[in-house]
Amino acid sequence: MPSPARSDAGGDGAGILIGEVHTGLLLNSASLRQDMLPAVLGLLPGERVRSFERPISHAVSPELLVGVDCDLSTASGTRVRGIGTLAVRAAITGGRVLQGSAWTRLMGGHAEHRLPWSHYLARPGVVETVGRRRNHPYHADLADGFLDRTNNRKAPGIDFGAICGQIMGEVQRSPYLDRRSPFKAARTTLRWVAEESPERRIGFILGDDGSRTTRITFDGQPISAVIELCEDLALHDWLLSTLLDVIDRGMPSDGPHETMMRRIRPAVDHLIHLWMPGARVVESLLPLWESLDTKPGFTRQWDTLVNRIRDQLALRTLTLLSASAEGVPGRNEQGIRS
Amino acid sequence: MTSAHVTFGEVAAERRISNIPLSHVSVELGHLYMDDFEAGRDALRRQFERVRPWAETVTQINEGRVRRPRISTCFLIDDYFTRFSTPSVVIGDLLAASEAAGLRIDYIARESGCAVADGVPLAELVHARLVPDPPPGTNGSRPPPHESGWLSNGERSPSGGVDEAMGQVAAWLPPRENAARHHSIFLDVEMWTDEGDRRIWSCPYLAAVWQLLRLGLLRDDGRPVAVPVPAPDPLPDDWDDLPAIIQMVPSAPPFAAYTTMSVLSSRFLPVEHAVRVILGQVSISAAVLEQTVRRGADENLEIPRDILKRIGYAIPGEI
Repeated sequence: MPSPARSDAGGDGAGILIGEVHTGLLLNSASLRQDMLPAVLGLLPGERVRSFERPISHAVSPELLVGVDCDLSTASGTRVRGIGTLAVRAAITGGRVLQGSAWTRLMGGHAEHRLPWSHYLARPGVVETVGRRRNHPYHADLADGFLDRTNNRKAPGIDFGAICGQIMGEVQRSPYLDRRSPFKAARTTLRWVAEESPERRIGFILGDDGSRTTRITFDGQPISAVIELCEDLALHDWLLSTLLDVIDRGMPSDGPHETMMRRIRPAVDHLIHLWMPGARVVESLLPLWESLDTKPGFTRQWDTLVNRIRDQLALRTLTLLSASAEGVPGRNEQGIRS
Repeated sequence: MTSAHVTFGEVAAERRISNIPLSHVSVELGHLYMDDFEAGRDALRRQFERVRPWAETVTQINEGRVRRPRISTCFLIDDYFTRFSTPSVVIGDLLAASEAAGLRIDYIARESGCAVADGVPLAELVHARLVPDPPPGTNGSRPPPHESGWLSNGERSPSGGVDEAMGQVAAWLPPRENAARHHSIFLDVEMWTDEGDRRIWSCPYLAAVWQLLRLGLLRDDGRPVAVPVPAPDPLPDDWDDLPAIIQMVPSAPPFAAYTTMSVLSSRFLPVEHAVRVILGQVSISAAVLEQTVRRGADENLEIPRDILKRIGYAIPGEI
């Protein structure tokens, strides 16, 4: 029976958001058509796949929940038990790039002991800390513990990697995909923490083990906007890393042009048109992207790489033309004229 | 140059969740099985007479809480596990018996409608939304262990057999309820059995879907499901031709409600325990949850987010 309203405040307000985004190539020989996206990403019957066509094809699966009850990673090694759910979803951009994204909001819990599971399902995407220390000022300890992957003393915490991997695997097994990829590209992992603060901050660290971590602040924006920013960041970091890798492997200082062409062709065909930083990021969070784009300068590096490929292609065309001009003059002159 | 304010939207990108009308309370006056029907119209009337004081109490309690309580009544007929008689005969008897006992039935639903309602596979939609209660130590490394067709509120006893290293029968270990404080009340619920290519959903499973319908928490791609329709006149001869939920009283308050109250005989206690174990593991769409809580707040009512707190019972020994 309904009861008159009273405040349902519990825990400690906003808490912190933690998450991980895995980015890789969709296992399909061609770019996936827009009309196939609902079938491939329809992971929850009865819930719609949201899809966008402008400025770039992008579709997002419904959010699924995963239940956890485990010790969380803390930098200090203090034992903090967390119970609740993570939200996880898959996204496909440009019919080509697949992302698995999982996140949760860590909040001070309502009790010293575990509550019935329905309590946690009533707060989807929230993990509550449980126990005597549940309202301890733990934000920094949990954020540091989550981002630091080298600390052996800490509890392993929530396995975001497995959760993202499971949803990506589910998409890749879709019968609508032919499971052939046009080129090889490594999967990247971006781990992130977001905290509410009026001070605008963003940090991005590329570890020497290939790990990426980012730490941002937000101020009143909905959680969905923060998640989209992190996914967009992960997408562009992956594009840049993949293009770098293609060029490293495909552009030796000398060697046959055919080999080079075969190797860099996928980048031209499948990657270059996907660069659209901030396309789906809300306006009030765009300054964060822009400051990251100034230093270290993602777009500057991307443009340099793309220009390098274009120069190589132009050079290659010129070389081919002059080679054929010298070889078979009559036929080639005709060819150029037509 | 001044910049223009631009708006751009894509319909396929939106999350749209239909609002549905809501009462304050949905009262279930009973649940009819073949045996009850075969006991005759007088037995039905006596049953309704025993229910009536409980239904009146619900009204009294709510009149003390809100100014004009919207209370709708409903009745569920089992046409899933056994098929008996015809809609016109059964519904005619029900209405006559309830009227004689001074009760008004606003809506009549059939149990098959909890499996598939007007073409929408409700039981499957709910099944896809199950997020199993994780035992302590679950960190997402692997999907939680599950037995196909079963759902429990904890960790099962390790399955028996021989300890390979020792070559002797392994000692029994108790199951454990995840939310146990000191001692466990472990329950393992069978959700379905497959017979050939037909899936038979269990009684508590369909009763869980029934509670979700009464709470107005189910949507199919954002659209309402099992929307009540006015009772056809005449009533069809085949149960399959009857919509999932029919409205008997045109002026009745909405079928779905913030909370539900069911008047049940105590023999249904185990079923309802199973219903709660299932419902406690159904993840309601965050948008729908939010919508209901906001609608309550607009009426100055606090609607608990935890759906189990919205489900109440009156359980006398015998009805």
